[in-house]
Amino acid sequence: MELVYSQNRERQAAGELSDRELALQARGGDMVSFEVLVSRKTPVVVSLARRIVGNAEDARDVAQMVFLRVWKEIHRYDERYSVNTWLYRIATNLSIDFLRSSRSRERAHGATLHLVREREESSAGGATRTAEDRDLARLFEAVSGRLSEKQKAAFVLREMEDCDTRDIAEILGCGESTVRNHLFNARRILRKEIARLYPEFLRGRTLA
Amino acid sequence: MSAICGIVRAGFDDYLSDALPAPQRRILRDHLAACAECRGAAAARDASLVFARRVEETVGADEVADVLASVRTGVAHIEAERRLRRPRGGRRAAAVAAAIALAALLAPAVSSRRGTGAPAAVANAGIRVTATAGRAVPAGGIEPAAAPPEAAAPDSSATVYELNPGSGREEPRVVWIVDRGLDI
Repeated sequence: MELVYSQNRERQAAGELSDRELALQARGGDMVSFEVLVSRKTPVVVSLARRIVGNAEDARDVAQMVFLRVWKEIHRYDERYSVNTWLYRIATNLSIDFLRSSRSRERAHGATLHLVREREESSAGGATRTAEDRDLARLFEAVSGRLSEKQKAAFVLREMEDCDTRDIAEILGCGESTVRNHLFNARRILRKEIARLYPEFLRGRTLA
Repeated sequence: MSAICGIVRAGFDDYLSDALPAPQRRILRDHLAACAECRGAAAARDASLVFARRVEETVGADEVADVLASVRTGVAHIEAERRLRRPRGGRRAAAVAAAIALAALLAPAVSSRRGTGAPAAVANAGIRVTATAGRAVPAGGIEPAAAPPEAAAPDSSATVYELNPGSGREEPRVVWIVDRGLDI
Protein backbone atom coordinates (compact mmCIF):
# COMPACT_ATOMS: atom_id res chain seq x y z
CA MET A 1 0.00 0.00 0.00
CA GLU A 2 2.79 2.35 1.02
CA LEU A 3 4.72 1.35 -2.12
CA VAL A 4 1.77 2.09 -4.41
CA TYR A 5 1.24 5.42 -2.66
CA SER A 6 4.90 6.40 -3.06
CA GLN A 7 4.88 5.34 -6.73
CA ASN A 8 1.80 7.45 -7.37
CA ARG A 9 3.46 10.37 -5.66
CA GLU A 10 6.59 9.90 -7.78
CA ARG A 11 4.45 9.72 -10.92
CA GLN A 12 2.63 12.86 -9.93
CA ALA A 13 5.90 14.70 -9.33
CA ALA A 14 7.31 13.46 -12.65
CA GLY A 15 4.15 14.65 -14.39
CA GLU A 16 5.11 18.22 -13.59
CA LEU A 17 8.53 17.94 -15.23
CA SER A 18 9.28 19.12 -18.77
CA ASP A 19 9.93 16.63 -21.56
CA ARG A 20 13.63 17.35 -21.38
CA GLU A 21 13.78 16.83 -17.62
CA LEU A 22 11.88 13.56 -17.96
CA ALA A 23 14.29 12.38 -20.66
CA LEU A 24 17.27 13.27 -18.48
CA GLN A 25 15.83 11.43 -15.50
CA ALA A 26 15.03 8.44 -17.69
CA ARG A 27 18.62 8.56 -18.94
CA GLY A 28 19.66 8.11 -15.32
CA GLY A 29 17.54 4.95 -15.18
CA ASP A 30 14.37 6.41 -13.65
CA MET A 31 11.57 4.17 -14.92
CA VAL A 32 8.78 6.35 -13.52
CA SER A 33 9.98 9.35 -15.55
CA PHE A 34 10.26 7.17 -18.62
CA GLU A 35 6.70 5.92 -18.20
CA VAL A 36 5.41 9.46 -17.77
CA LEU A 37 7.24 10.43 -20.96
CA VAL A 38 5.70 7.44 -22.79
CA SER A 39 2.20 8.37 -21.63
CA ARG A 40 2.70 12.00 -22.58
CA LYS A 41 4.19 11.36 -26.01
CA THR A 42 2.14 8.37 -27.15
CA PRO A 43 -0.58 10.53 -28.82
CA VAL A 44 2.00 12.49 -30.83
CA VAL A 45 3.90 9.39 -31.88
CA VAL A 46 0.79 7.36 -32.70
CA SER A 47 -0.74 10.11 -34.83
CA LEU A 48 2.50 10.72 -36.74
CA ALA A 49 2.96 6.99 -37.33
CA ARG A 50 -0.69 6.65 -38.35
CA ARG A 51 -0.24 9.26 -41.05
CA ILE A 52 2.84 7.58 -42.43
CA VAL A 53 1.92 3.90 -42.13
CA GLY A 54 -1.74 4.55 -42.85
CA ASN A 55 -3.63 2.66 -40.16
CA ALA A 56 -4.17 2.74 -36.42
CA GLU A 57 -3.16 -0.78 -35.51
CA ASP A 58 0.21 -0.61 -37.25
CA ALA A 59 0.74 2.87 -35.82
CA ARG A 60 0.36 1.46 -32.29
CA ASP A 61 2.93 -1.24 -33.09
CA VAL A 62 5.29 1.41 -34.43
CA ALA A 63 4.74 3.54 -31.31
CA GLN A 64 5.73 0.61 -29.10
CA MET A 65 8.87 0.08 -31.15
CA VAL A 66 9.63 3.79 -30.93
CA PHE A 67 9.52 3.83 -27.13
CA LEU A 68 11.53 0.64 -26.82
CA ARG A 69 14.14 2.18 -29.10
CA VAL A 70 14.05 5.30 -26.91
CA TRP A 71 14.68 3.20 -23.79
CA LYS A 72 17.56 1.37 -25.48
CA GLU A 73 19.11 4.57 -26.79
CA ILE A 74 18.26 6.91 -23.93
CA HIS A 75 21.95 7.12 -22.95
CA ARG A 76 22.52 8.81 -26.32
CA TYR A 77 19.94 11.50 -25.72
CA ASP A 78 21.56 14.91 -26.09
CA GLU A 79 19.79 17.51 -23.95
CA ARG A 80 20.72 20.26 -26.42
CA TYR A 81 18.04 18.92 -28.74
CA SER A 82 14.32 18.89 -28.25
CA VAL A 83 12.76 15.62 -27.13
CA ASN A 84 10.10 16.04 -29.81
CA THR A 85 12.63 16.24 -32.64
CA TRP A 86 14.43 13.18 -31.30
CA LEU A 87 11.16 11.28 -30.97
CA TYR A 88 9.98 12.39 -34.40
CA ARG A 89 13.23 11.19 -35.86
CA ILE A 90 12.92 7.73 -34.33
CA ALA A 91 9.20 7.55 -35.12
CA THR A 92 9.66 8.63 -38.73
CA ASN A 93 12.52 6.23 -39.36
CA LEU A 94 10.67 3.30 -37.82
CA SER A 95 7.48 4.21 -39.70
CA ILE A 96 9.45 4.32 -42.96
CA ASP A 97 10.99 0.92 -42.18
CA PHE A 98 7.55 -0.42 -41.33
CA LEU A 99 6.07 1.00 -44.52
CA ARG A 100 8.84 -0.54 -46.60
CA SER A 101 8.33 -3.96 -45.07
CA SER A 102 4.55 -3.74 -45.28
CA ARG A 103 4.74 -2.64 -48.91
CA SER A 104 6.83 -5.66 -49.70
CA ARG A 105 4.34 -7.83 -47.78
CA GLU A 106 1.47 -6.30 -49.71
CA ARG A 107 3.24 -6.93 -52.96
CA ALA A 108 3.42 -10.55 -51.91
CA HIS A 109 -0.16 -10.87 -50.68
CA GLY A 110 -1.92 -8.57 -53.11
CA ALA A 111 -4.38 -5.84 -52.21
CA THR A 112 -6.49 -7.94 -49.84
CA LEU A 113 -4.58 -6.85 -46.78
CA HIS A 114 -5.12 -3.22 -47.64
CA LEU A 115 -8.88 -3.67 -48.08
CA VAL A 116 -9.24 -5.53 -44.79
CA ARG A 117 -7.26 -2.81 -43.05
CA GLU A 118 -9.35 -0.06 -44.59
CA ARG A 119 -12.52 -1.69 -43.34
CA GLU A 120 -11.06 -2.10 -39.85
CA GLU A 121 -10.00 1.54 -39.88
CA SER A 122 -13.42 2.82 -40.81
CA SER A 123 -15.06 0.86 -38.01
CA ALA A 124 -12.46 1.14 -35.23
CA GLY A 125 -10.14 4.11 -35.65
CA GLY A 126 -12.83 6.44 -36.95
CA ALA A 127 -14.27 7.31 -33.56
CA THR A 128 -11.32 9.46 -32.65
CA ARG A 129 -11.54 11.81 -35.65
CA THR A 130 -14.17 14.23 -36.85
CA ALA A 131 -15.95 13.27 -40.08
CA GLU A 132 -14.04 15.90 -42.03
CA ASP A 133 -10.67 14.86 -40.64
CA ARG A 134 -11.54 11.25 -41.40
CA ASP A 135 -12.30 12.19 -45.02
CA LEU A 136 -9.04 14.07 -45.28
CA ALA A 137 -7.12 11.16 -43.81
CA ARG A 138 -8.82 8.75 -46.24
CA LEU A 139 -8.10 11.05 -49.15
CA PHE A 140 -4.45 11.20 -48.17
CA GLU A 141 -4.30 7.46 -47.76
CA ALA A 142 -5.87 6.99 -51.21
CA VAL A 143 -3.61 9.40 -53.09
CA SER A 144 -0.30 8.96 -51.25
CA GLY A 145 0.32 5.40 -52.39
CA ARG A 146 2.66 6.54 -55.14
CA LEU A 147 4.86 8.63 -52.87
CA SER A 148 8.18 7.20 -51.81
CA GLU A 149 8.56 6.63 -48.06
CA LYS A 150 10.74 9.72 -47.66
CA GLN A 151 8.43 11.90 -49.75
CA LYS A 152 5.50 10.76 -47.66
CA ALA A 153 7.32 11.35 -44.39
CA ALA A 154 8.48 14.82 -45.48
CA PHE A 155 4.98 15.77 -46.61
CA VAL A 156 3.33 14.49 -43.41
CA LEU A 157 5.87 16.33 -41.25
CA ARG A 158 5.32 19.56 -43.16
CA GLU A 159 1.60 19.58 -43.84
CA MET A 160 0.19 17.66 -40.92
CA GLU A 161 2.74 18.22 -38.18
CA ASP A 162 3.75 21.72 -39.32
CA CYS A 163 7.48 21.12 -38.88
CA ASP A 164 10.06 23.54 -40.27
CA THR A 165 12.24 22.46 -43.18
CA ARG A 166 15.28 22.46 -40.92
CA ASP A 167 13.57 20.14 -38.42
CA ILE A 168 12.40 17.83 -41.20
CA ALA A 169 15.96 17.67 -42.52
CA GLU A 170 17.20 16.72 -39.07
CA ILE A 171 14.46 14.15 -38.60
CA LEU A 172 15.03 12.54 -41.99
CA GLY A 173 18.79 12.84 -41.74
CA CYS A 174 19.20 14.75 -45.00
CA GLY A 175 19.83 18.29 -46.22
CA GLU A 176 17.23 21.05 -46.40
CA SER A 177 17.44 21.12 -50.19
CA THR A 178 16.65 17.40 -50.25
CA VAL A 179 13.61 18.05 -48.07
CA ARG A 180 12.44 20.78 -50.49
CA ASN A 181 12.96 18.37 -53.31
CA HIS A 182 10.91 15.68 -51.52
CA LEU A 183 8.14 18.19 -50.85
CA PHE A 184 8.14 19.45 -54.43
CA ASN A 185 7.91 15.93 -55.84
CA ALA A 186 5.32 14.88 -53.27
CA ARG A 187 3.08 17.81 -54.27
CA ARG A 188 3.51 16.99 -57.97
CA ILE A 189 2.55 13.34 -57.42
CA LEU A 190 -0.36 14.22 -55.12
CA ARG A 191 -1.70 16.74 -57.66
CA LYS A 192 -1.64 14.06 -60.34
CA GLU A 193 -3.26 11.46 -58.13
CA ILE A 194 -5.99 13.82 -56.94
CA ALA A 195 -6.68 14.82 -60.57
CA ARG A 196 -6.90 11.17 -61.52
CA LEU A 197 -8.93 9.88 -58.59
CA TYR A 198 -10.82 12.94 -57.30
CA PRO A 199 -11.03 15.50 -60.13
CA GLU A 200 -13.73 17.44 -58.26
CA PHE A 201 -11.01 18.87 -55.96
CA LEU A 202 -9.40 20.64 -58.90
CA ARG A 203 -12.61 22.57 -59.40
CA GLY A 204 -12.27 24.02 -55.95
CA ARG A 205 -14.40 21.58 -53.99
CA THR A 206 -13.27 21.15 -50.42
CA LEU A 207 -13.93 18.48 -47.87
CA ALA A 208 -15.97 20.68 -45.60
CA MET B 1 -14.26 37.37 -48.01
CA SER B 2 -12.38 39.26 -45.33
CA ALA B 3 -9.18 41.30 -45.63
CA ILE B 4 -7.14 38.44 -44.27
CA CYS B 5 -8.48 36.13 -47.01
CA GLY B 6 -6.71 38.29 -49.63
CA ILE B 7 -3.45 38.25 -47.68
CA VAL B 8 -3.64 34.50 -47.19
CA ARG B 9 -4.40 33.82 -50.84
CA ALA B 10 -1.48 36.01 -51.90
CA GLY B 11 0.74 33.73 -49.81
CA PHE B 12 -0.18 30.46 -51.56
CA ASP B 13 2.75 30.59 -54.00
CA ASP B 14 5.28 31.32 -51.28
CA TYR B 15 3.78 28.56 -49.17
CA LEU B 16 4.14 26.08 -52.03
CA SER B 17 7.74 27.05 -52.74
CA ASP B 18 8.65 26.89 -49.03
CA ALA B 19 9.48 30.59 -49.01
CA LEU B 20 6.99 31.58 -46.34
CA PRO B 21 8.48 32.18 -42.86
CA ALA B 22 7.15 29.91 -40.11
CA PRO B 23 4.84 32.47 -38.40
CA GLN B 24 3.11 33.40 -41.67
CA ARG B 25 2.89 29.76 -42.61
CA ARG B 26 1.06 29.06 -39.36
CA ILE B 27 -1.34 31.96 -39.92
CA LEU B 28 -2.10 30.63 -43.40
CA ARG B 29 -2.70 27.12 -42.12
CA ASP B 30 -4.89 28.31 -39.26
CA HIS B 31 -6.90 30.45 -41.64
CA LEU B 32 -7.37 27.56 -44.08
CA ALA B 33 -8.65 25.42 -41.21
CA ALA B 34 -11.30 28.05 -40.45
CA CYS B 35 -12.27 29.46 -43.86
CA ALA B 36 -14.03 27.19 -46.35
CA GLU B 37 -13.81 29.74 -49.17
CA CYS B 38 -10.04 29.98 -48.89
CA ARG B 39 -9.80 26.20 -48.70
CA GLY B 40 -11.61 26.07 -52.04
CA ALA B 41 -9.30 28.71 -53.51
CA ALA B 42 -6.26 26.82 -52.18
CA ALA B 43 -7.43 23.53 -53.65
CA ALA B 44 -8.03 25.25 -56.99
CA ARG B 45 -4.51 26.73 -56.90
CA ASP B 46 -2.86 23.44 -55.97
CA ALA B 47 -4.79 20.34 -54.99
CA SER B 48 -2.09 19.31 -52.51
CA LEU B 49 -3.04 22.36 -50.42
CA VAL B 50 -6.13 20.51 -49.14
CA PHE B 51 -3.75 18.90 -46.66
CA ALA B 52 -2.27 22.20 -45.52
CA ARG B 53 -3.82 22.23 -42.10
CA ARG B 54 -3.43 20.41 -38.84
CA VAL B 55 -5.71 17.40 -38.52
CA GLU B 56 -6.50 16.85 -34.89
CA GLU B 57 -6.21 13.22 -33.96
CA THR B 58 -7.26 12.21 -30.51
CA VAL B 59 -5.56 9.12 -29.23
CA GLY B 60 -7.74 7.53 -26.59
CA ALA B 61 -6.61 6.85 -23.02
CA ASP B 62 -7.08 3.11 -23.58
CA GLU B 63 -4.78 3.29 -26.60
CA VAL B 64 -2.14 5.08 -24.51
CA ALA B 65 -2.54 2.46 -21.77
CA ASP B 66 -2.10 -0.34 -24.33
CA VAL B 67 1.09 1.17 -25.65
CA LEU B 68 2.41 1.77 -22.13
CA ALA B 69 1.68 -1.82 -21.07
CA SER B 70 3.49 -3.21 -24.11
CA VAL B 71 6.42 -0.86 -23.59
CA ARG B 72 6.69 -1.97 -19.94
CA THR B 73 6.86 -5.61 -21.03
CA GLY B 74 9.42 -4.76 -23.68
CA VAL B 75 11.57 -2.81 -21.25
CA ALA B 76 11.47 -5.69 -18.76
CA HIS B 77 12.66 -7.98 -21.56
CA ILE B 78 15.46 -5.60 -22.55
CA GLU B 79 16.59 -5.29 -18.94
CA ALA B 80 16.54 -9.07 -18.47
CA GLU B 81 18.72 -9.43 -21.57
CA ARG B 82 21.09 -6.79 -20.25
CA ARG B 83 21.35 -8.57 -16.91
CA LEU B 84 22.18 -11.82 -18.68
CA ARG B 85 24.92 -10.11 -20.63
CA ARG B 86 26.36 -8.28 -17.62
CA PRO B 87 28.09 -11.26 -15.86
CA ARG B 88 30.60 -11.41 -18.73
CA GLY B 89 33.01 -9.23 -16.80
CA GLY B 90 32.51 -11.44 -13.76
CA ARG B 91 33.27 -14.49 -15.84
CA ARG B 92 36.47 -12.95 -17.06
CA ALA B 93 37.50 -12.13 -13.50
CA ALA B 94 36.70 -15.71 -12.48
CA ALA B 95 38.78 -17.00 -15.37
CA VAL B 96 41.74 -14.90 -14.27
CA ALA B 97 41.33 -16.09 -10.67
CA ALA B 98 41.11 -19.69 -11.81
CA ALA B 99 44.20 -19.28 -13.98
CA ILE B 100 46.10 -17.97 -10.96
CA ALA B 101 44.81 -20.89 -8.89
CA LEU B 102 45.88 -23.30 -11.62
CA ALA B 103 49.34 -21.76 -11.73
CA ALA B 104 49.58 -22.12 -7.97
CA LEU B 105 48.35 -25.69 -8.37
CA LEU B 106 50.96 -26.57 -10.94
CA ALA B 107 53.85 -24.86 -9.20
CA PRO B 108 54.46 -27.66 -6.66
CA ALA B 109 54.27 -30.23 -9.47
CA VAL B 110 57.01 -28.43 -11.32
CA SER B 111 59.08 -28.22 -8.20
CA SER B 112 58.45 -31.96 -7.48
CA ARG B 113 59.98 -32.78 -10.87
CA ARG B 114 63.04 -31.07 -9.60
CA GLY B 115 63.15 -33.64 -6.81
CA THR B 116 61.07 -32.30 -3.98
CA GLY B 117 58.66 -35.30 -4.06
CA ALA B 118 54.93 -35.50 -4.70
CA PRO B 119 52.29 -35.00 -2.07
CA ALA B 120 50.63 -38.25 -1.15
CA ALA B 121 47.13 -36.85 -1.41
CA VAL B 122 47.39 -36.55 -5.16
CA ALA B 123 48.03 -40.22 -5.68
CA ASN B 124 44.39 -40.98 -4.90
CA ALA B 125 43.03 -38.05 -6.77
CA GLY B 126 42.20 -39.92 -9.93
CA ILE B 127 40.85 -37.51 -12.46
CA ARG B 128 40.67 -33.90 -11.47
CA VAL B 129 38.81 -31.39 -13.52
CA THR B 130 39.63 -27.73 -13.38
CA ALA B 131 37.10 -25.37 -14.90
CA THR B 132 39.28 -22.36 -15.39
CA ALA B 133 36.46 -20.04 -16.30
CA GLY B 134 34.42 -20.66 -13.21
CA ARG B 135 31.88 -22.91 -14.92
CA ALA B 136 30.07 -25.62 -12.99
CA VAL B 137 32.14 -28.74 -12.79
CA PRO B 138 30.55 -32.00 -13.89
CA ALA B 139 29.53 -34.27 -11.08
CA GLY B 140 29.53 -38.03 -10.85
CA GLY B 141 32.89 -39.13 -9.53
CA ILE B 142 34.79 -36.25 -11.08
CA GLU B 143 36.09 -34.07 -8.35
CA PRO B 144 36.63 -30.38 -8.82
CA ALA B 145 40.16 -29.19 -8.18
CA ALA B 146 39.13 -26.62 -5.64
CA ALA B 147 41.38 -28.01 -2.97
CA PRO B 148 44.30 -26.01 -1.66
CA PRO B 149 47.37 -26.06 -3.91
CA GLU B 150 49.40 -28.29 -1.61
CA ALA B 151 46.74 -30.97 -1.50
CA ALA B 152 45.62 -30.78 -5.09
CA ALA B 153 48.92 -30.63 -6.92
CA PRO B 154 49.36 -33.58 -9.29
CA ASP B 155 52.43 -35.73 -8.94
CA SER B 156 55.13 -36.16 -11.50
CA SER B 157 53.26 -38.98 -13.23
CA ALA B 158 50.26 -36.82 -13.99
CA THR B 159 49.52 -35.76 -17.56
CA VAL B 160 47.77 -32.51 -18.18
CA TYR B 161 45.28 -32.45 -21.05
CA GLU B 162 43.80 -29.21 -22.23
CA LEU B 163 40.49 -29.39 -24.00
CA ASN B 164 39.55 -26.59 -26.43
CA PRO B 165 43.16 -25.54 -26.85
CA GLY B 166 43.39 -22.13 -28.44
CA SER B 167 39.85 -21.09 -27.64
CA GLY B 168 40.76 -20.01 -24.15
CA ARG B 169 40.43 -16.32 -24.95
CA GLU B 170 36.64 -16.27 -25.00
CA GLU B 171 35.44 -19.73 -24.03
CA PRO B 172 36.13 -21.31 -20.65
CA ARG B 173 39.13 -23.62 -20.75
CA VAL B 174 38.83 -27.06 -19.25
CA VAL B 175 41.96 -28.73 -18.10
CA TRP B 176 42.02 -32.41 -17.25
CA ILE B 177 44.78 -33.73 -15.05
CA VAL B 178 44.92 -37.49 -15.34
CA ASP B 179 46.99 -39.60 -13.02
CA ARG B 180 48.78 -42.03 -15.32
CA GLY B 181 49.21 -44.44 -12.44
CA LEU B 182 45.46 -45.04 -12.42
CA ASP B 183 44.17 -47.80 -14.66
CA ILE B 184 41.20 -46.42 -16.56
